Amino acid sequence: MIKSDSRDSGNLPLAGCRVIEHSRTVAAAYAGRLLAVMGAEVVMIEPPAGSVLRKAPPLLDDGAGPSALFAYLAAGKDSLVCDLESAAGRQRLAEELAQADILIDDTPLARRQALGLDTAAVAERHPALVHVSVLPFGASGPKAHWDGEEVNLMHASGEGFLLPNGRSHELFPDRAPLKIYGHFAGYQAGCVAALSALSAWWAVADAGGQYIDVSVQDAMLLCGAFALQRLGDGSLEHRATRSFRYGGVFEARDGFIELLTLEDRQWNGLVQLLGNPGWAQDEALRDPLERSRRGSEINAHIREWMARHDVETIVANAQELGVPAARYRTPDEVLHGDQECARQLFTRSTLDDGREADILLAPYRFHRTPLQLRGGVPAIGQRQQANAGQGATPQGAPP
Amino acid sequence: MTEPLSPLAGVRIADFTIHAAGPFSTHVLSQLGAECIKIESKARPDAFRKPHAVYGRMTAATFDQVSANKLSVRLNLKKPEAVALAKRIVAVSDAAAESFRAGVMKRLGLDFEVLREVKPDLVMLSLSSCGQSGPDSHFAGYAPLFGAWGGLGWMSGYSDGPPVEMRHVMDHSAGYHAAVALVAALHQSRRTGRGQYIDLAAREVASAMIGDALVLASLGAEAPRPGNGDLAMAPHGVYATAEPDRWLTIAVRNDAEWRALATVLEQQAAAEDSRFATTEARRRHQAELDDLMTRWLSQANADTTAEQLQRAGVSAHVSWNMQDIADDPHLHARGTLTEVHDPSVDRRYAVGAPARFSATSDVGIRRATPELGQDEDYVFGELLGLTTDQRADLEEREVIL
Repeated sequence: MIKSDSRDSGNLPLAGCRVIEHSRTVAAAYAGRLLAVMGAEVVMIEPPAGSVLRKAPPLLDDGAGPSALFAYLAAGKDSLVCDLESAAGRQRLAEELAQADILIDDTPLARRQALGLDTAAVAERHPALVHVSVLPFGASGPKAHWDGEEVNLMHASGEGFLLPNGRSHELFPDRAPLKIYGHFAGYQAGCVAALSALSAWWAVADAGGQYIDVSVQDAMLLCGAFALQRLGDGSLEHRATRSFRYGGVFEARDGFIELLTLEDRQWNGLVQLLGNPGWAQDEALRDPLERSRRGSEINAHIREWMARHDVETIVANAQELGVPAARYRTPDEVLHGDQECARQLFTRSTLDDGREADILLAPYRFHRTPLQLRGGVPAIGQRQQANAGQGATPQGAPP
Repeated sequence: MTEPLSPLAGVRIADFTIHAAGPFSTHVLSQLGAECIKIESKARPDAFRKPHAVYGRMTAATFDQVSANKLSVRLNLKKPEAVALAKRIVAVSDAAAESFRAGVMKRLGLDFEVLREVKPDLVMLSLSSCGQSGPDSHFAGYAPLFGAWGGLGWMSGYSDGPPVEMRHVMDHSAGYHAAVALVAALHQSRRTGRGQYIDLAAREVASAMIGDALVLASLGAEAPRPGNGDLAMAPHGVYATAEPDRWLTIAVRNDAEWRALATVLEQQAAAEDSRFATTEARRRHQAELDDLMTRWLSQANADTTAEQLQRAGVSAHVSWNMQDIADDPHLHARGTLTEVHDPSVDRRYAVGAPARFSATSDVGIRRATPELGQDEDYVFGELLGLTTDQRADLEEREVIL
């Protein structure tokens, strides 16, 4: 290892796994991030000007500072500048790949050959390498050359058309459908890329290296497969009609609440929560189908009651009664949440400008070997600087 | 040397998961070749085996994506003998997965500490709404609550509207993350000979989807809720077209793409308008720009315009419904859509493997939803070595139920 690391990372799940990441999209970068936090050594190959993700919004300091998105995605990785437009840069990449187990690349198909990243050349030179391609519409098929950003891909996979459902659609029925915040589809594709890479690496002793074609559209479509299943059942889903008939988003006196009762015992708890009001004593409402039929009437009652109460009281009483309810929390509330603190969801990391920030580690805990982000957010070419500091040659000795 | 047909060939998972998120994680692994033994019972059938009034489904589902590919055995885990059999299944598996409320597996006598005694290098996944520890660990929840707790619901929404309720994609995103973690732990177990316990909280997956906003929050900055807008791209959004409810999504990253868009839409004057000359200028005049875009596209054909824009190098796509997806030649050519047999409808599609593998290429859906207990000959008979008489006796005494 080139980086000094006081903590023992040798026991982490992916200790010994070497990953080269060449990314300009969230999908590929998130794949690398998932592997890095589980102990893989992930090296970002950056052009001399730095990855485009270093400038991806949201930016700190009201848009003048470094990228918060990049900080989140790059924490725990290393950075190596390689100008793949030059023969020397491509040679350097080849040397890195010779030492690597996994390559994650999202270069558009048309550019791959010029950068030394075409499938056949990589496979010939590095037969044991797991080569993962991550593209908006995949590397094969009639739309392989199509480009897409998150908003396009969320809608190409069908989920965009179905949002928003529930309260937002009730309030603004004529507005355009709405994407999920941020890079949700990109993150799902990142999961698929990481999963595929690890699965192919699992088989590498028997199957050798191989090429894997990941599509953001495919990954998001599988994530939303339930809507395709509903089509098979004879029902074409639409955002106007896929909402739960009652329950959903409610505005309390001091914030928003999600409330959802799918089972009879939860409904009974809800009636109790609301103080056993007269309208809820109607015998007919014992039937879940009748409740669904009269959903908007029920919601009107709940809405009126919610507006008179505080979120904390409602949620505490609801959970006590077995009624699933939660506050719609802001990022700040998540960051300082008791639950998140108890589970150490965040870790203090140094950004590439020296500031410290709390960065979400991973949405799961490994009980025997706690996960960690090593080394914070890398500066451009951090690996070269580390090598120079240790007297290594600029072209870099194998790690 | 024989080449494995699937990347995870030979991996066996004892699958106790229920509902959507947990079953999705093992379903994805099964598509990559893992053998998943779904342990269930008539006493507590999984959601898809029951009517679902919310979806107007009055009988069991004929096809359930997240159960597809799995083997099914019945075990009534209220009986100690069934728990013992479940342990024997775990003992011949590489991993176990569950998605009950925190504490249920311990109550059943099937928690990690117990299971690792029968299988020291076991990888175990617990997927729950809030995780196995912390003050909220006992909270029950569904996908919309994960989104609410985790901050994703708050960040999604029209800028002037309420937060938005997340649906199944939230469950399945938790499942994707669980699958990644599980395979990483398998590597660890194979390398070290020691087991691992993975504790995934679905609400933390929702938080992971706003990881950038959380970095801002930690430095005292408020993350804006952008709706369909983007902080770096303009125009960027979802626009109405000539056909009602046929929306076109467009994302313009730079000036060259802006000029290309103006050319396709035959708006040369706009291309030369200084208000829109740079990304910064377009962002500054976003309201005017969106008004113009809305006007220009109001009579456009969404599908042909998307194709023209793509040919010109602009990221564009129609907002597709599931019928569009089922009919898409690209998704068919890639094998993303798999036809599954269902006697109740002519043709139905499910989503196949999430990636194509050049060597271990046998991935995807091999079989549809299993009947309850369909695979007991193999699991109870072949794997556990129970005789027909033993099984009949266990069934008689409702251990197998």
